[in-house]
Amino acid sequence: MNEWTKGDVSYLWPWLMVGLALLVVALLVVWLRVWWRRTPQDATYVAHTARLRALPRFRSLVRRQTAVGAALTLAALVACTGAILLAGRLQETQTKEQSEANRDIMLCLDASYSMAEVNAEVVAQFQEIVTELEGERIGLTIWNGNAITVFPLTDDYDFVTDQLRIAETAFASALSVGDAYLDYIEGTQVQEDVASQLGDGLVSCVQRFDREDEERARAVVLASDNDVIGEGIFTVPEAAEYAVENRAVVHGIAAPSTAERAGDEAEFRDAVEETGGTFNLVGGADSTEAVVESINDLEAKKIEKPPLVQTLERPQTGIVVTALGVGLLVIVWAAQGVLALVDRQGGREQRGGRR
Amino acid sequence: MAHLTKVKSKLSIHAHRKVRGVLEGEYAAAQIGRGIDFNDLREYVRGDDVKDIDWKASARGRQLLVKRYVAERQHTVMLCVSTGRSMAASNDAMVSKRELATFVAGMMGYLAVRHGDRVGMVYGDAEHQHIRPTDATELHLEHLLAAAHDATTPDAPASDLAAVLRYAIRTVKRRTIMVIVADEVQVTEEMAELLRRLLAQHELLFFTIGDVDPTDAALTGRLYDIDAGVEVPEWLRHDRRLRAQYASLVQHEESGMRRRLDQLGVVHERVRDTESAISAVFRLLERHRHARRR
Repeated sequence: MNEWTKGDVSYLWPWLMVGLALLVVALLVVWLRVWWRRTPQDATYVAHTARLRALPRFRSLVRRQTAVGAALTLAALVACTGAILLAGRLQETQTKEQSEANRDIMLCLDASYSMAEVNAEVVAQFQEIVTELEGERIGLTIWNGNAITVFPLTDDYDFVTDQLRIAETAFASALSVGDAYLDYIEGTQVQEDVASQLGDGLVSCVQRFDREDEERARAVVLASDNDVIGEGIFTVPEAAEYAVENRAVVHGIAAPSTAERAGDEAEFRDAVEETGGTFNLVGGADSTEAVVESINDLEAKKIEKPPLVQTLERPQTGIVVTALGVGLLVIVWAAQGVLALVDRQGGREQRGGRR
Repeated sequence: MAHLTKVKSKLSIHAHRKVRGVLEGEYAAAQIGRGIDFNDLREYVRGDDVKDIDWKASARGRQLLVKRYVAERQHTVMLCVSTGRSMAASNDAMVSKRELATFVAGMMGYLAVRHGDRVGMVYGDAEHQHIRPTDATELHLEHLLAAAHDATTPDAPASDLAAVLRYAIRTVKRRTIMVIVADEVQVTEEMAELLRRLLAQHELLFFTIGDVDPTDAALTGRLYDIDAGVEVPEWLRHDRRLRAQYASLVQHEESGMRRRLDQLGVVHERVRDTESAISAVFRLLERHRHARRR
């Protein structure tokens, strides 16, 4: 899961902001010019206002009007600024790398007793791989005569790690006393005379891939000794063909005992190489490492997708500033109203007193 | 004859001939220094001094006749008008102070001309003062009124009645009936001194014109301070306390001025609008007559 990375914060319509700011300034200039302009021709004039200006009430009124006017002007300017900020539409561009992992890896382990040690090693290796994965899905299928899905393809790595640890413990306990191993592989062998069916196991594992309509890199890590007992449904070459049809790459890990049967080893190797995978014998120096490398090579098949870009409006600043301005306006208006009301009350009392 | 026509039409519309006659009688009776030389008789009108009635002639003619004296005709009325910019403002009845001043001066001048007296004018502001020669024609009076009217503009220099009075003291040599039309709000010591000096030489009739109350809630439109040239804020009209303070201040100033002028012995009258100007002139003449008799 990739996070959205925060990108540039910029205005969508900076020209509108400039225009509005100029408009506000122009209106201010026009207003001030009207204010300062000499009196009109048909004005009503009053003389001898000096005595009015000397009145104490006049002075207090002027002080109040100055304060109210300054506050209103400030509030209006703040509201204008907020509106301009809003008009500019501040936007944040966020990008998200679309390296959504499109690899599916199916661990496909031969659950026959002879493979336990090899399986334990493969599972142990995979626990390390999982820690480095990002988005890939991993599934685990074990098979002998029949295939059992231990867990399907998933990218819940905590779960995968837990399951792999359980699998490792189970496979590692094959040689020791107890039922842990047998419990784990329960159900993989229904018929005594049908075991280690490599063909059936591979087909089962390939069938575990879902999302057929998506372009995904599919890999099967197939660990087996190809020691087929009894008649299966698919032969190994048929299974390889099926894997190719389903565009799955099979990486083979053969147990050391496979080498003793040259025909079986060749069959296994041919099948694996037909799908474009690697073939390794465990016991060779770095067999599992080679598999890991091959899996990592699959990344080359990753489909290049352009990063996702989303643009988010960031109107918070504008809203806060506008609200501040409008709030101040309302407060000043209310205060003015209250003062006027108080004055009116005072005037009434005064008149009453005179009466 | 625009200014004088206004005066005449107002007099005729408002008061018919009767009141006009009363005014003329008041004017005649308010004259001082009536000559001893008898000139002729004319019909009595209300306001004529009872002393002037020629009882014998009245008995013969079956109507009241008053004696006219030669000297009556030779009085000079000197209109003394302040024409500074404050006179271009509005007065307390929202009438242009300039129109009102012209009207009052015109009425006094018209009465004088009708009576055969000569009318002259001194007018001016803080910077310039002018004197116009005296003459006894209506046309001349009209010119005088136009001069004062046109000099009173919002762009004119500040008003300074003291300067005009000083100028009058310097330039008017003969004894006149001086009619002062101004918008003073108080009588300063300097002004009192000037008035005293004028009183020694002239008969003084003082008309004052008030100012619009900028705290009046009934005002509409924008109001400008004629001296500062800035707008008088509209919010002044909504404060009761300010209005009360201003009203008491104006009242205080008015009564103070009235008292001071009374002390000086200057008869004065406040003119509010053209309607009441006639009665104001009448009252002033009446008071002047009585003041003289004291």
